[in-house]
Amino acid sequence: MDKARKKHPLVDAERPNLLEDTFPYVLPPLIRFSKSPVVEYIDGQAVEFDVAGVKDRDIVITDTTFRDGQQARPPYTIDQMVHIYDQLARLGGPNGVIRQTEFFLYTKNDRETLDRCRALGHKYPECTGWIRAVKGDFRLVKEAGLKETGMLTSCSDYHVFQKLRFRSRAECIDSYCEVVDAALEAGVRPRCHLEDITRADIDGFVLPFVDRLMEMSSQAPEDQSVKIRLCDTLGYGVCYPGVELPRSVPKLIYKLNRECGVPSERLEWHGHNDFHRVHANASTAWLYGCGAANATLFGFGERTGNPPLESAIIEYISLKGDTCGIDTLAISDLADYMRSIGLPIPDNYPFAGRAFNTTRAGIHADGLRRDEQIYNIFDTALLLGRPPRVAITDKSGTDGVVHWVNEFFGLKGDDRINKIRLHKLARWVIDQYEEHGRLTTISDEELEVKTKELLPDYWEKYKAVK
Amino acid sequence: MATVEERVKAVTARVLKVDPKQIKPEHSFTVDLGASSVQSVELVASFEEEFGIEMEEDAALSVQNVGDAVGFIANVCREQGVDIEE
Repeated sequence: MDKARKKHPLVDAERPNLLEDTFPYVLPPLIRFSKSPVVEYIDGQAVEFDVAGVKDRDIVITDTTFRDGQQARPPYTIDQMVHIYDQLARLGGPNGVIRQTEFFLYTKNDRETLDRCRALGHKYPECTGWIRAVKGDFRLVKEAGLKETGMLTSCSDYHVFQKLRFRSRAECIDSYCEVVDAALEAGVRPRCHLEDITRADIDGFVLPFVDRLMEMSSQAPEDQSVKIRLCDTLGYGVCYPGVELPRSVPKLIYKLNRECGVPSERLEWHGHNDFHRVHANASTAWLYGCGAANATLFGFGERTGNPPLESAIIEYISLKGDTCGIDTLAISDLADYMRSIGLPIPDNYPFAGRAFNTTRAGIHADGLRRDEQIYNIFDTALLLGRPPRVAITDKSGTDGVVHWVNEFFGLKGDDRINKIRLHKLARWVIDQYEEHGRLTTISDEELEVKTKELLPDYWEKYKAVK
Repeated sequence: MATVEERVKAVTARVLKVDPKQIKPEHSFTVDLGASSVQSVELVASFEEEFGIEMEEDAALSVQNVGDAVGFIANVCREQGVDIEE
């Protein structure tokens, strides 16, 4: 073993230091950065990134629940989309943290949905379109009265040659630029979706194309200048420092932001979750200079899905240190709504699954009994309307039963019933497994029945109140 | 009236299903007599019922062996004015 290089004396204390500057509990844990800039070596040069500055930069979430999110499921009905849009407006709040959402424009239903969403009168999320990069499609955008539309401008050679069958890259760029021109002429802001950018030739294709888009933008009014969406179509993006292009998220953003000069507010990251990197990559994009992170509710999207919008919301608060008008309770309402219309959300899914803050371990239940902050990520009752819970199994122990009963009766502090008073119910639970060989979790309904039977006095006292 | 020790042993034997003659003051409820987590709670509840007392949960559950339980319960009985044979 190497000799220790630095001694670390114990800082003894008789009172706990709960690090509340970082873990305020009434908010998600804050992401705090040291004062030093982050350094990434790009083309042999050390480049500094002011990631701490994200707290004061205008970053936003954009939504694609109705576009990418709908490519992975049967279509939503118009009523369902209008309801979801209404809740997105509530969730993102009046400051437009959820700044935009995009709609297909091709069918009668697409257009009716858009009209009804806009009729709700919400300032945010702004409604934008999504079309193929075909000149004729601008008629749809114009007819819908939209100011901005996304268009697919695929940029890896897998797409340029293998899918789109262009004879050369130059021909491909000319074709894309014709459509961008048409958009600008029509007074519509084009948002170029650089599909498959994490598998593209960045120096040989992407940067020359973006240079040309920037040149075209310089002739257009500011509110029509081209936006760029970096589409990590197959989830190849990696956020670690030191990774080479085209997979490096930091380097991609650097190249577009600082070399091509695309301002942060016109850069957007769109990820996919094929390698479980989707949320970290979207957050990294924010930190390195991307203004918008594109997301879908509960990450539902093509194949493995997109950055989960509700996670982006929690990340946003963690980075900003403030809710900024966000109504986090809408996350739980949206999850309930999605379940009610048949969208499956796994029980252990963060922030929204039925059991995301449910423990099955007796030792965790004991911790919750003593102080819920020991095993709860933040005040989930306050922010999500979801107090921490205990699922009762053979691993729950007496502490699990105690937590369940007190939550069930809504008892806090000194009013909580202690384990001595609940030993009969705890015994019944243990016997289910030890005597009767049960293998499944005991449901809330079963526990209610047994609580009434074995704790009649408490039932009388507290259920009458409830 | 039986002594506190006799009554503690009788309750312990009933809850843990062991022979009362085998129980010694130095026996640990968990290590020697095999009390599980829920049985420890049942023991405390049964002692409360046997002696007509209420014990503080954490303090009662921290008692490790039979002899200490006898002393602990005798103290609680005295504090709560319950007659016992010592």
